[in-house]
Amino acid sequence: MRFEVETGRRRRTIDVQRSGGGWAVTVDGRPLIVDFARAGDRWSMLVRKAEGAAGSAPPLTDSHGMSHEVAIEVRDQGARLVHVDGHVVPVTLIAPGRRHSRSSSGAGDPTGPIAIVAPMPGRVVKVLVTPGATVAARQGLVVVEAMKMENELRAPRGGTVAEVRVREGAPVDANAVLVVIT
Amino acid sequence: MHKILIANRGEIAVRIIRACRDLGLGSVAVFSECDRQARHVRMADEAVAIGGNAPSDSYLRIDRIIDAARATGADAIHPGYGFLSENEGFAEACRAAGLIFIGPAAEAVARVGSKTTARSIAVSAGVPVVPGTESPFSPNASEEAIVSAAARIGYPVLIKAVAGGGGKGMRVVSKPDEVQSAVRQARSEAATAFGDASVYLERLVQRPRHVEIQILADHHGHIVPFVERECSIQRRHQKVVEESPSAAVDSKLRAQLAEAAVAVARAADYTNAGTVEFLLDEDGRFYFLEVNARLQVEHPVTEAVAEVDLVGWQIQIASGAPLTLSSRDTLVPKGHAIECRVYAEDADLGFLPSPGRITSLRSPSGPGVRDDGWVEPGTEVPIYYDSLLSKVIAWGEDRRQATARMRRALAEYEIQGVRSTLAFSRWLLARAEFAEARFHTGYLDELLQQRAGEPFDEADPSLEEVAALAACLAEAVRNTAERLTSPMGAGSTGSPMGGATGVLREDPEVSRADRNWKARARRESLRQ
Repeated sequence: MRFEVETGRRRRTIDVQRSGGGWAVTVDGRPLIVDFARAGDRWSMLVRKAEGAAGSAPPLTDSHGMSHEVAIEVRDQGARLVHVDGHVVPVTLIAPGRRHSRSSSGAGDPTGPIAIVAPMPGRVVKVLVTPGATVAARQGLVVVEAMKMENELRAPRGGTVAEVRVREGAPVDANAVLVVIT
Repeated sequence: MHKILIANRGEIAVRIIRACRDLGLGSVAVFSECDRQARHVRMADEAVAIGGNAPSDSYLRIDRIIDAARATGADAIHPGYGFLSENEGFAEACRAAGLIFIGPAAEAVARVGSKTTARSIAVSAGVPVVPGTESPFSPNASEEAIVSAAARIGYPVLIKAVAGGGGKGMRVVSKPDEVQSAVRQARSEAATAFGDASVYLERLVQRPRHVEIQILADHHGHIVPFVERECSIQRRHQKVVEESPSAAVDSKLRAQLAEAAVAVARAADYTNAGTVEFLLDEDGRFYFLEVNARLQVEHPVTEAVAEVDLVGWQIQIASGAPLTLSSRDTLVPKGHAIECRVYAEDADLGFLPSPGRITSLRSPSGPGVRDDGWVEPGTEVPIYYDSLLSKVIAWGEDRRQATARMRRALAEYEIQGVRSTLAFSRWLLARAEFAEARFHTGYLDELLQQRAGEPFDEADPSLEEVAALAACLAEAVRNTAERLTSPMGAGSTGSPMGGATGVLREDPEVSRADRNWKARARRESLRQ
């Protein structure tokens, strides 16, 4: 089974194949032997270099290698948060036929309208702009209180306020559009 | 005293219930709607619903909390920290209802709760204070009046809420034209958080350390100070890491700080547990900052180096027992302790709160490690309250060992379902400045400003490879299991054995929840 995988800016091609009680694996062509065992809601993983040819079966009695404990959070279709050895590594499994993960293509149009959305449920404490106003980059637009902190949402770039969709004191849901800038 | 009602929630309610158990006392929890199943409710002997989710409908409802105490026959109330802990009206209402308030008397809460009154108490006790306005501005004070006071004190100045705490209602201003918007924000935040919009000004001491002295004071005139805590690592005035003792304090300075703290407590006629906070400048001069008339979040570091139970002592003092501790013992640190706070916040998205359901959790343990938390797998972290999940405290014979143990504990700690500040804490504790104890109260904010948004979790390439491999193998196992159990058989996903391509399954619920997390554009629109 072949996967295209991204971590940070690095992309790897990983082939995995059942072999005896474990897995014969290649990472960008480099052969490894992995014992990948379920441990409750986690995995115990023993990884070592393959000494023979790729794909040769590791005998079960010969299960050894660098030991890693892994827990995997499924965040999205291909997005995983992999907890391993005291680190959390975001991993993207890229679906077949896709050339890029979504995270590297979703930058958006830098000149089109921008919606300022509530990052989480909360309450609008203050609306700092009115429709038609010209705003500079990083100028405060709306103050939203959530989890006892006031967060001032700022303009990601300069522009004109096209719409103000909330009133002071109003509760807002996560992702609710507060202000639109053109 | 037989039964204590805990007027709080989260980790501190759990901590106080444990102290009740240790003393053989009954415990009563109170809860809002969303906290019906919370840990503190399940742990307590009895529990009482006190209203809606907004703090003003429940944990701040003095009338309902007093009613709950009456209904359950509790004879004392512990307020914890936050909520009503420094509200003199609450202390007074307890007294009027014949209940013991586990904290200072209402008059003492009022005296030290007003920062301007506390300042004059410190001055009268001969303790140095930072230059500032002696009384708060009226709500309709003109901008000109505030600007001219700021000019007299000298920029940069701090605008501080009279009723403030924890950095709320506080703003730094370095130029006259920033005054108006900063005062507005400080007033609004203070009004929301404390119901009091009064503010005053204080000169900003450059690059100070924050050190504080925990005290216990009984009803028989004994006041015992403890070894200082250093809480200089702060993000926007919120403490992030606390430790005791401070690397910047020697035994001579410690004695001076302790003496000053006791003098302030005595002048305020203070009883029970409290903390006197100081700024320590680069030349080793200290200034009184404020008194926290409550148990503090970071009390466990003192418990670790003094080998005492501060909550236990709070309860005993409130029931009239005399202190049997001596400052000869309490001012000598037994080893070193560090605390890291773990919040449900996404540090990589500007510390955006990350409420939601904890899906998996493993907390650290082992020699010298204490974890004071309240969440478990299945816990919903609500949006209505502060996002503290836990506090990790590491103790060692010296600072080096305590640091090593803290790093070990943070590496063991694993929280899934919500984003936490664990990776951020690991990053912070791995830095040379921490190892060398080189920091001041602005250190962390300056450091964070220099960063260009790179993630805090810096896994090396070989670990990234392990993570990538694990994600593929788990997917392969899942695909295989699906193929074996699916009525459609192998046809839909292809053979996993024949070099076929891995198929990713869409999980609509997960991807809906995830849109929030992935909206990277949002990072730009957030402050800092």
